[in-house]
Formats: sequence, structure tokens, C-alpha cells
Amino acid sequence: MDIAVGTSLDRIIIIAYFALVMGFGAYFGKYSKTTSDYFFGGRRFSWWLISISIVATGVGSHSFLKYSTKAYQYGFSSTMTYMNDWFFVPLFMFGWLPIIYYMRIKSIPEYFERRFNSKARYLATILTLIFMIGYIAIQFLTLSTVLYKIFGIPLMVTVILIAIATTIYMHFGGQTSVIFTDLFQGFILIFAGMLLFYLGIQFLGDHTPHSGLHAFWTNLSPVEKLPLAHFNHPPDFNFVGIFWQDGIAGSVGFLFLNQGLIMRFMAVRSVNEGRKAVAFNALCILPISALVVSNAGWIGRAINNAVPGTLPVDMASNDVFVAVTNIISSPGVFGFIIAALCAALMSTSDTLVNASSAIIVNDIYKPLSKKKNSDGEQLKVARWTSLGVKVIAVIMVPFFNTFDSIYEANGWFHATFTPPLAVGVFLGIFWKRFTTPAIIATFIGGAFLMILGQIFPEMVSPFAHGIELRPNRGYSYIGALYNIVVCAGVGIIVTLFTKPNSDKKLKGLTIFDVLKLKEIYKGSRPNEELGKPVNVNWELMENDNDIIQFSTNDMETMKAYPGDLVYIQDARWWLGGLRSVHTVYGNPHNEDGVVYINSSHLDHGQFLEGLQLKAEKEM
Amino acid sequence: MLEFSRTWLPFIYLYGVGGIVFTVGLFLILRTKALRLSYLRHKKWFWLLLYGFVFWFSLHAIFIILAVGSK
Repeated sequence: MDIAVGTSLDRIIIIAYFALVMGFGAYFGKYSKTTSDYFFGGRRFSWWLISISIVATGVGSHSFLKYSTKAYQYGFSSTMTYMNDWFFVPLFMFGWLPIIYYMRIKSIPEYFERRFNSKARYLATILTLIFMIGYIAIQFLTLSTVLYKIFGIPLMVTVILIAIATTIYMHFGGQTSVIFTDLFQGFILIFAGMLLFYLGIQFLGDHTPHSGLHAFWTNLSPVEKLPLAHFNHPPDFNFVGIFWQDGIAGSVGFLFLNQGLIMRFMAVRSVNEGRKAVAFNALCILPISALVVSNAGWIGRAINNAVPGTLPVDMASNDVFVAVTNIISSPGVFGFIIAALCAALMSTSDTLVNASSAIIVNDIYKPLSKKKNSDGEQLKVARWTSLGVKVIAVIMVPFFNTFDSIYEANGWFHATFTPPLAVGVFLGIFWKRFTTPAIIATFIGGAFLMILGQIFPEMVSPFAHGIELRPNRGYSYIGALYNIVVCAGVGIIVTLFTKPNSDKKLKGLTIFDVLKLKEIYKGSRPNEELGKPVNVNWELMENDNDIIQFSTNDMETMKAYPGDLVYIQDARWWLGGLRSVHTVYGNPHNEDGVVYINSSHLDHGQFLEGLQLKAEKEM
Repeated sequence: MLEFSRTWLPFIYLYGVGGIVFTVGLFLILRTKALRLSYLRHKKWFWLLLYGFVFWFSLHAIFIILAVGSK
């Protein structure tokens, strides 16, 4: 079906939006001074800022198309994948998050080297990079498919234009730009999704004798209102398969292996702020996101039931998002909603590009480079790497275009690359005995058995929970359970016959050492006394040491002692920590309400003359 | 009438298997003292973790009840 889409006004709005986001991202480039800033945003942001920016990362452009398609076909059960992440939250909040934060782990492959050895790191690097760059390619393909319909520019040209647009602000700004553009785009995404729902409800109210919400509810069948799909039928959308693929493998993949998400959490100012971001995201943002990405499909289904003939009879389910948006919105609003789709794409791909670039610099360039490179040189490499990653992603687009649907391409990706890494990292964190030969065997042996499972799907049948095996197409989702079992099986068996690493080598890298992490991070015993933050004026001192000095009384209020760690930020809360630094308490002076900082703190924190700072003890 | 395999079976499976994962996770972080109930801040987190589980459990259950009861 051909959908006539967009007016000139819509096209102008989409172009203006791209320009706005590029300018916004480029502006925040000034806050990236070092590779730590470029990749991790200087570990300074508040939970709410990180939480909203995660929305834009989690909701990719493919999410709108993929979930609205499933919502149109199956109803509310399209939300399943957004509502099954809580089971792993305790282990993430109190296991993985403190480990990566306090051990200053810069990438997932780096964890594999520290926990196991360099071979494990290289294998993990290859798997992670293929996964992320492929994922970027899928994002490019999705949006290009939509924009192609609106602008009529050939698909590959659209792909290249989108890659250039995101490169402009990423190249200069790194993680800080990513966080702030994602914050902006997160709001846009939520607003646009809610607007679409509101317009759909209004449309239903205008075209039926009932009020909008009533018309929406009554024009969905009971089956379409169920929040979970049928247990094991049909093969391309069933509960149990999706539970293992997304609820288990996907959740571990997202929380424990997604380099983009890990870097986002490394950018928070403390572990506790990271926990707040996770909790807020999982309890408040995920339900909203589910509504945002699915509602075009539900509205489409309700319109089809209430006002047959409004949507084209021969419309493919994949086209429901564009078709419904086109019908229920006026010119300009359509452009805005498509711009939100662009927001989803850009924010997901910028996170992944930044993450891939971090892995290339930290896991390939730095270990292989013979000379010791300066931070400036590494930053330069990081910037050019992000460009290279995009070029490779663009080259991969035609490959993904050969899949029947974006949903299938995405599913294949998760099923193929997540299980070995997920099993490896999970056993690594939570099983002290898990050995180095076992992780290598998990990667190689597990991958071999997974390939066998793809070639001979009968091997997956014992795990199928009664899901039908489709001739020549295998199992869609339940393969994840088979993949997890074979990878874990290989890992466990090899572990039982090999020698575990010493406790010294494992220090701080498993959940059993979480108690010691703060001490490792600080380098001395942490000060856990509860103090209060203080507001102070700053004065510049001539000193190169990384210390700042407060009065004795202010130190007493914060319950701090020289040598403790302190976080100091611009007192305006809504900056979310953008102007801030982490440093160390020096010896106290006698001027209450004054902090002495050096020029390096001033440069890094970008503090403004005459504005107060807020300081609090970290540990 | 909606079949059991469309309504409550997925729900039981989700919170049965997911519940085991959640409980094992909670047990592990308590056992290793990564979460210490003697800390006020950690105690609040503990209750929030339980609340999150109940929140999702209730949300799914309410929607199933509403769907089953609707025409």
C-alpha cells in the first residue's frame, strides 16, 4: 500500500528539528575536556537527568514501528517487553552497578579482562562491537524507511544524511552532548507519543456516539485488552518465547551488557543516584514508554473496529504508525510526530555510537598502542572512531534490509549475540568459582552449539513449551532459552573441571566483595557518618593539588574530614550537575561559607562568578 | 470465554519464573551484605524493591481481570 504522507510544512518541521538538535548537541561540546568527560560525562549528573535521557535511548525509532505493528495485530500485549524488567533490578542496583562504578570499569570487555584475562576481553570486544554497530545500522534503516516515504529521497542517501546529522553534535560533544540531547529528545518523545494518543482518542470520540476513551475501550475486543500474549501461540508472537528472549536474555542484555546504558550510569554522580534513576525509570518511565510506542497500533485497531474503511483495507500492519498518524493529525503535527521518531533514532544511535567508540578506544586502541598516548590524542581518536563506526553501520544497512521485517532483524540480533555475553557476565559476577577457561568455552563452545541450534531447530524443540516449529524458519524467540541453557551448561561444566582464579585476582569484581568496593574506590576507609550539604561561595587559590578547602564549621556540618571525597556543584538544582566536580577535602580554614578551589576545578566545573556552590560529602 | 492459556497461565509463568529470579536476587544481595537492612537508606531500597514487584504484579492482574470482565 502507498501512503501519501506529509505536506511541505511537515518537511520543514522535520528539517528544523534536525537543525535544532544538532545545535543543541554541539553547544554541550564545551563541557567535554577529557576522555572521561567525552565517554562518561565526568560522573557528575543527577538521577532525574540520567533517567529521562535513558528514555530516549531505550525507545529507538524501531520501537515505534515495531510495537505499534504488534499493538495493531495483538492489542495491549504489545507492552509485554516493557513490563518485565523488574526481576533483575535487585541484582543490578546492588550487584552490578556498584561494581562498575567503584571499580571504574570503562567497558564490558574491560570487565572480562579484569575478571578473567585478555583473551576473554578480545572475544567480548568482538561480540559487543558487532552487536552495537549492527544495532546502529538497524536504527538507520528504520528511520530511513519512514523518511524515504516523506521526502522521496533514495533510501541509502537518507541513511547517509541521518548519519551526518548525528555525527555533527556527537563529534564535538561526546557523552555530555548525548545526555543533554537525549534529555531534550526524551521529553519530545513522551510528549509526541501522548499527543498521538490524545488525538486518537479525540478522533474516536468525533466518529462514534461515545466519548473518546469509552469508544477506545469498547472498540477493542477482550483478547486485545489482555496485557500478556497467548502462552505459546502463534509462533511469531507468544508469551513464553518473548519472556525468555526479552524478559530474561533481553533484560540481562539491557541492564548488564548495554555499553550505552553502562556509560549513562557511569555519568551519574553517585551509585545512589544511579539506583534512583533505575527505580524511577522502571516504575514510572517504562509504563509511559509502553503507551508511547504502542498506542498508534491500539488506536488503529479501535478505528478499524469502530469506523471500518477509515484505514486502507490492504494496509500492511507495518504501516500502521505512519497511516494512523497521518489520519488523526493535521499538517505540522504530523511533521512534529515524525520529528519525534527522528528523536528516537538519533538518541539511540548517538548512545550506541559513543559506546562503540568507547570500546574501540579503551579495548582496542589503548591496549594495542605501543606508546603512551596523551588524553588529547585519545580524545581525537575517540572522535574519529565515532565517525568510522557510523560509516561501517551505513555499509551494513543493505544487509539488514534483506530481512522480512525490522522486528525479525532485531530479534535475530538479540538471539544471536546476547546469550554468550549475558551468561558470561552473569556467572562472572554472581559465581566466584566461574573460571577463565569456562568463559572462553562459553563464548566459543556456546556459540558453536547455538549455531547448531540454528541449523537443526529440532535441538531447540525440548525447550519449545509447545510452540509450533515452522518449516524452514525455526523458532523465533524460544531459541533464547536454548541458547542460554547451552552457554550456561558449557560454562558450568568447564568450571567444575578447572581451577578457579585466586581471591586476590577477583577482588572487587564479584558481588561477594561489594562491601569492600567503597574502600577500594576511595583508597582508604570510607566515612559513612551522615552529614548535611552546605552552600558556599567560591574563591580561587593557587594550588595544583586536587583538594578544596572548607571552614572547620562547614566540615563539621558535612561530617567530613581531610582526605574524604566531596562533590561540589552549582547550587541551581535544575542544572542536574552539569557544572560540578568531584574532589577531595583539604585541611580546613576559618572562613565559614567559603570554599577555596583551584583553576583546574574552575575549568572543569565551569563555575560562574558570584554564584553559590552546593557541597556534600561522598564518603 | 477466554482460555486459561490466554489469561492466567502467562501471568502465573511470568511471576513464577520471574519471581524465582527476583527472590534469588534479593537473597543474594542480602546474603552478601550488598544490601544492609541495618542502614536506613538501604532499608528504604529494600521496601522499594518489594513495592516494584507488587506494582507490576498488580498492574498485570488488574488488566487481566478487566479484560476478562469486558465484552
